[in-house]
Amino acid sequence: MNAIEKKPAKLSISTNLGRIIRTVIGVAVLIWMALRFYNVLTVEPFGADVWTRIAISGLILGGMYALIAIGYTLVYGILFMINFAHGEVMMIGSFGGYFAFEILKNIPTPTADDPSLTFINAYPILSIIIAFLIGMSLASMSGYFLEKIAYRPLRGAPRLVPLISAIGASIFLQNAAQLLFGPQRRDYTNPGILWRGTGWTVEIAGSPVIITYTGVFSFVLSILLMIGLFTLVQRTKLGRAMRAVAQDKKTAALMGINVNQIISQTFIISGALAGAAGVMWGIHNGLINHYVGFIPGIKAFTAAVLGGIGNIPGAMIGGLTLGILETLGPAALGIDFQLKDVIAFSILVLVLIFRPSGILGEALSEEKL
Amino acid sequence: MKTKHASPLQNGLQAGAIFAILIIFFILTGFNETAANLVGRVLNNQVPNQLPATINLVIFVILMALWCGGMAAKKPELDAPDRYSDAVFAGAVAGLLAGLLSAAFIYLTGSIAAAGTDMRGYFPEMSPDYINFYLLNQPLMTAVLYHFGIMLVGSTLGALMARGIGRSSWRKKLNQEVSSSTKKLSQNSAFERVMNSKYSQYAMFALLAAALIILPREWGPYWNYLMGTVGIYILLGIGLNIIVGLSGQLVLGYVAFFGIGAYTFGLLTSPQPHAIMMNFWLALIAGVIMAAITGILLGLPILRLRGDYLAIVTLGFGEIIRILLKADILEFFTAGPKGLRSLAQPTLFGQSFSTDVDFMYLIILAVIISIFIANRIEKSRVGRAWLSIREDAIVSQATGVDTYRYKLLALAIGAAFAGLAGALFASRNQFTGPEDHILMVSINVLCLVIVGGMGSIPGIILGSFVLKGLPEILREFEAYRMLAFGALLVVMMIIRPEGLLPSSRPLMENHKPDSQEKNQGEVVEDAAHS
Repeated sequence: MNAIEKKPAKLSISTNLGRIIRTVIGVAVLIWMALRFYNVLTVEPFGADVWTRIAISGLILGGMYALIAIGYTLVYGILFMINFAHGEVMMIGSFGGYFAFEILKNIPTPTADDPSLTFINAYPILSIIIAFLIGMSLASMSGYFLEKIAYRPLRGAPRLVPLISAIGASIFLQNAAQLLFGPQRRDYTNPGILWRGTGWTVEIAGSPVIITYTGVFSFVLSILLMIGLFTLVQRTKLGRAMRAVAQDKKTAALMGINVNQIISQTFIISGALAGAAGVMWGIHNGLINHYVGFIPGIKAFTAAVLGGIGNIPGAMIGGLTLGILETLGPAALGIDFQLKDVIAFSILVLVLIFRPSGILGEALSEEKL
Repeated sequence: MKTKHASPLQNGLQAGAIFAILIIFFILTGFNETAANLVGRVLNNQVPNQLPATINLVIFVILMALWCGGMAAKKPELDAPDRYSDAVFAGAVAGLLAGLLSAAFIYLTGSIAAAGTDMRGYFPEMSPDYINFYLLNQPLMTAVLYHFGIMLVGSTLGALMARGIGRSSWRKKLNQEVSSSTKKLSQNSAFERVMNSKYSQYAMFALLAAALIILPREWGPYWNYLMGTVGIYILLGIGLNIIVGLSGQLVLGYVAFFGIGAYTFGLLTSPQPHAIMMNFWLALIAGVIMAAITGILLGLPILRLRGDYLAIVTLGFGEIIRILLKADILEFFTAGPKGLRSLAQPTLFGQSFSTDVDFMYLIILAVIISIFIANRIEKSRVGRAWLSIREDAIVSQATGVDTYRYKLLALAIGAAFAGLAGALFASRNQFTGPEDHILMVSINVLCLVIVGGMGSIPGIILGSFVLKGLPEILREFEAYRMLAFGALLVVMMIIRPEGLLPSSRPLMENHKPDSQEKNQGEVVEDAAHS
């Protein structure tokens, strides 16, 4: 959009006051952070092993955030709406993977060596693939129907209306899952090769640091999925159609692109990525319940904003950055780990105040912002 | 982009699939039992502490089947013939599909249960008793056949009935009926004359005042508690209405202001952890002012952002406040997860004024004053500035409205109402803790504003009664309340975005462009709304 930048002719007192307050907040936050960080480094310094551990868990978390954030960005790029229920799509994917593992766990597959073996341990790689396929397809389906039921009838309505509808859908899905599966947390059963807590041990600064198999698996898979998505968007016909629709729906329709179909497919793709993130979340963290998608959803939105909403590489970078900042933040600032959510939300607020276009975002025109 | 005409077969398959999913969902969540209980309450054949009678479930399934048929028998497009045979065919197809799928599901769960597997590990509602209940206490195959037969016959009958009644599209009908009935009331000249005469208005006021004075004395502590909660939610609704309904800024972290009001009040009056022990009225005012100041401080940097961003930032802010209240490191200041106890009670001229009846009066008084204030502001220059910002911020700025300042004012005033509600809530409960200030409160208030009608105070009062009062009365549905809220928000946005009792001023903002414009809707939206 090549909208002409509008410059306000005269700033009112309150606008100026807002600017002053923004500056004051910014400077205060920076000074406070520098002081805390200095304090942490000098008074009670952590060893290199602790920092490595934190950075690794941040990267793993960031990979999952990035996958979810791509979904927000894809949908925002095309419809200019925040798909508030995207976190719930991830939750559905997570439950899909859980049930896949639970079923595979109970299929007896006796082999010559061990007659009591079940499918999940006889064919571990196949089980993981099945779990991901089930989780991703369930999440895709829910994304598709979400768009069809809750958003499509509101196409063209003012922005507040689909947003409220999305909030409603989010509450609905969360509570439907609670009613179906109960409020208790559920334990993911991983195949033996991906046991949680096991991994390679690396010696750093004299103490062992475990790099878990589940963590490496999640991170590598999320990077692979991101590369796949990037290729899809840049190289294929579908990707070109998606970019065209994101730029200008009307012209895209005139060029023979079925806009509704492309929007549906966008929801399917973003649902699949969120579903994959959901299964990873279960495999890596172990516990899921109906609420599992909500906070990651909001944080992934933060990541999308941080990277520049509507921008796919931005969402990836934003996700990884947020994951690292969120785990590194409490340690670097020397505050309670309980407050890591506060750090994520503060980043959201600060980014929106100081640089709403994000790290990679273009300077958005007033209307799009 | 006109879609093709839906054939009866398509209509039938669609309705059948939707109802099959619905029935399976109802079975899995245990809703069948709840619904049968409700039927039992209507028929008055309920035995306490027992599963409801089988006949109640059968009645519920029949109702579902009739509804399914009604959904299937859609009115065809204008130029297609509207035939009985089509409707009946669609109904039969819907019944067949829904019956087949639900029967297959019932057979599956029934046989799993018969094999002795307990499904409660995965689906907590699926107890053997409950499975037996929806199998109608019959052998498996008989029950499956019953369910299938009821669905098929009921759906066909339902389609026939719907066609016979001569349905138009039900949403349009609902809208027409509501608006025509309100119109009728206001246009009927005799009625209008009576309503508008001064004396009848005095009489109405007198009646209302008498009811408000007498009822809290008569209906006992339970109703006082319930109606007090409704009153507090009316206060919250009035405040959020100023922000969302009048000035058009979507704020999702409204609970933060509620929490700040409650905590300011609590910290000033509780013996722990500060022992300031301030007077009730002073602390109440402090809570209101503190919430308003927070509103301004939050608004100054972020009100530049528009719609959806603002929603997420405030949502994040609400979560930050809740986490900080809960955090252990702030325990010396906010008492952490324990919360604040034994807060001040209202006093009046040195007398204690804190029974449930007194509190009900206090809340009623607060609501009346708030309604008065909100009404006066809405009709003032400020209110008109808000409305112009809501309809079109750019045009309103061009006509000389300082949009930033007025948005800030809206946020501050809305926050002040939330602070008042929070302080009253904390004082009435004698307690406030982090769990009183969860996100769900924001969502509830947003729901009641939207369901009642954005920008309309009667709508908010109705919304509070519907969303806070009704679920307490329909106790069976307690577990399904949030589910229904979510569905209600989506449905309201699709069929009636202006709410049940919309304000008399037309809400242009909420109206979809006409269907011809739908394709260019995005363009229109981008250009016109910011």
